[in-house]
Amino acid sequence: MKRIAAALLLSCFAASAGTAPPADGTAQGSRTATRAAPAAAPAPPPQLPLDAAPGATPPAPAPGETDVQDALPPPSSAAQDLYSSARGDLLQIRMLLKNGRTQSTVGSGFLVGDGNLVVTNYHVVSQMALDPDVYTAEFVDTDGNSGPVELMAVDVLHDLAVVRVNRTGSGFFKVPEQPLRLKQGQRLYSLGNPLDLGFAISEGAYNGVVTRSFYDQLMFGGPINSGMSGGPSVTDNGTVAGVNVSKRRDGESVSFLVPVRYAQELLRRVAEQPDPPQDFNPLIAEQLLVHQRAMVDRLLEDPLSIKSMGPYLVPVRESGQLRCWGSSNVKAATAYTSDSMSCAMESAIYVSSQQQTGHVSMTHQYIRSDNLHPLPFSALAGRLFGSGRLANSANERMSKPVCTEGFVHTRTLPLRAVTCVRAYRKFEGLYNFTLLTASTDAAESSLQSRLDVSGVSYENGMRVTRAYLGSFGRIVKRQQAPAAAAATTTAAGGKR
Amino acid sequence: MSAPWTIEMLARNGEVLHRHRAGALPIRIGRAYDNDVILDDEYAAPHHAVIEPGLDPDGTPVLRDLGTRNGVVLKRKRVQQVAMHGDAVVRLGHTSLRLRPSDYPVPSELRDRTMHGWEGLLPGAVGVLLAGLVALLVTWLLDAQPFQLLNYVLAPAAGIGVGLLWSGLWAFLNRLFGRYTRLGRHLFIFGCGMAALVGFRLLAALLAYAFSWEWLTRYGSHAAVATIAGIIYFHLATITPPLRRRLRMLCAGAAVLASCLVLIVNQQRHGRVADELYMDVLLPPQLRASPDATVADYMGTVEAMRKELDGEREEEQK
Repeated sequence: MKRIAAALLLSCFAASAGTAPPADGTAQGSRTATRAAPAAAPAPPPQLPLDAAPGATPPAPAPGETDVQDALPPPSSAAQDLYSSARGDLLQIRMLLKNGRTQSTVGSGFLVGDGNLVVTNYHVVSQMALDPDVYTAEFVDTDGNSGPVELMAVDVLHDLAVVRVNRTGSGFFKVPEQPLRLKQGQRLYSLGNPLDLGFAISEGAYNGVVTRSFYDQLMFGGPINSGMSGGPSVTDNGTVAGVNVSKRRDGESVSFLVPVRYAQELLRRVAEQPDPPQDFNPLIAEQLLVHQRAMVDRLLEDPLSIKSMGPYLVPVRESGQLRCWGSSNVKAATAYTSDSMSCAMESAIYVSSQQQTGHVSMTHQYIRSDNLHPLPFSALAGRLFGSGRLANSANERMSKPVCTEGFVHTRTLPLRAVTCVRAYRKFEGLYNFTLLTASTDAAESSLQSRLDVSGVSYENGMRVTRAYLGSFGRIVKRQQAPAAAAATTTAAGGKR
Repeated sequence: MSAPWTIEMLARNGEVLHRHRAGALPIRIGRAYDNDVILDDEYAAPHHAVIEPGLDPDGTPVLRDLGTRNGVVLKRKRVQQVAMHGDAVVRLGHTSLRLRPSDYPVPSELRDRTMHGWEGLLPGAVGVLLAGLVALLVTWLLDAQPFQLLNYVLAPAAGIGVGLLWSGLWAFLNRLFGRYTRLGRHLFIFGCGMAALVGFRLLAALLAYAFSWEWLTRYGSHAAVATIAGIIYFHLATITPPLRRRLRMLCAGAAVLASCLVLIVNQQRHGRVADELYMDVLLPPQLRASPDATVADYMGTVEAMRKELDGEREEEQK
């Protein structure tokens, strides 16, 4: 159970092969996710090798590489009909390096109605949006014709983008004016170009709205593979229900769609704007700022809940988006015991293959020892508190960390606190905050905590830090404590 | 200038390799067995040169080339004859030599600062003991596993082993360039050096934790560099005591260079010249001396970082 949920990662499956090795492509996300439950962090399941290597770069995998489990189920006759009428409006979107015009990532997209606008995922076109002087894009249709692509608008938060091409659709894919009503179990057909192998259709059932991610997504019970990102998922009459976006790496045919209403909003925005924006970086920064405002407001709408770990009181937040996991080393061959708890958001905003943001995680580790002398114990606590935990300082999208450190006394607990902040180089006004604390009240036990908030404004970073730091405490021993304990035991006994 | 005369053969660094006493002039020099001074040098002629009484008033002897292939060289110049006052060094083939009269003035003796009681076994034993104890202390501090006797036997053994190896190397150099091995002295220097390294680290941690002096650990590597330079200086000074002043300059220079290197590496690694982003020392609460800040004060310092961050970002944009 823990294992399943620990792999919280929704793998983005635009084939992000060219730019970064696949492990890197999702590393940021898996790091944030695995932080939630480090002990249970599973390796990518071996039966899904194609996701682990989402690369569409090798055009034809060697015979041994193709896995039977990835073969799509044979389409029904409805799917055959649907595909034959949809194929004219289905496109593959390729990111190309301007130098040499080699593809770096590929994804899918679809022509909306009979216009020249194409809806796809933001993560398919992210390179073009962030570095337009390095990357360009082209589309390829089902007959192999290609043409240029012009980026019109992006919606980073819902992972959508609209591009313009020099041809018009046949009107098959209908984006409804009103939000679509779907019934659980209703059949949906997902189209796209999986793994750059060729255009494909796969069918599955609509399984309701998932609220675990920050923004609603539809759960789709069919296979979606890398390269199908940005493709449409339609009902049997061609009405678009959602846009393919991701799947669970540890699941079987558990995939996610962006609800069509966000695509409607984005198309409406495109209709209003006269020209496509020149530089998307400020727009993305603006959207991320909107996201962090909502995220921090939702995080702090109630005071953080307080849990006890040994004698300490620690702040956590458990909600639909933030899940908590615990682990312990009780039986390990060490001279100390360690309990840890970590809460993390299950989703993050994809900005680029190296950068995911809009994420919160908090961890607590409580270590204690009965037989270690205070000095070796402090040395151990110091090592756990050590700066190895802020590694990965080389990141070209982030500035170098600036830290402040101090000995802080909350109402009942003295702490050593370290805050390190990094600024986003491309997005003005966004920062990553990390707070590390270690209790300094006892020689034989130590509470070490960490808070990571990524992609927030400075004020909101401070707000979260202050709320988190201020909530630490220690259970104050009272004189009448034994009597109270006795009372609770009798109460419990009475219940029995 | 008076007899008897002393011919000194010199090594390239000016050290005397051989001395030969000659009662009277002339002195014949060469490889053949009928010479007064026989040279073991295949670049010297069988009859290479002769030193005769000079003609000038103070009677400085003159060395004359006997028509050889390689000749007589004084200050890199081939000469036919040389006035051999006490400090003139001539080269015959590969042999450098000078001639000194018996009344050549020598400087008075150096003051002996060597503690002769602290040579040999006693300082050696202290050094070994210190190295073992330091290794034991470090092992104990870093041990977070259930007690295992083996660790506490292996650690001092390793410490002493490293000490013997290190000091053995220095003793070897000492024998090579000085006269004695002085192993005991080198062991003592190693033991004290290790104790100073670890001691300073612990003291810095203690003071930094007690008084919130984070800079002490942040730049602790420079103290370590200085300590290591000190250790090397004492080893070198044991080998060649007369060069103390020069060695001191040399080691100080090397330490400054190493410190600069540390700063550069730190800047490359995490963009700061400090060794670490923050101090990770945690100690028992009894060792805290200065008062803690309030959460509000702390958040004030967090707020203050913003200027630095934004400044750096703007600089990069330019």
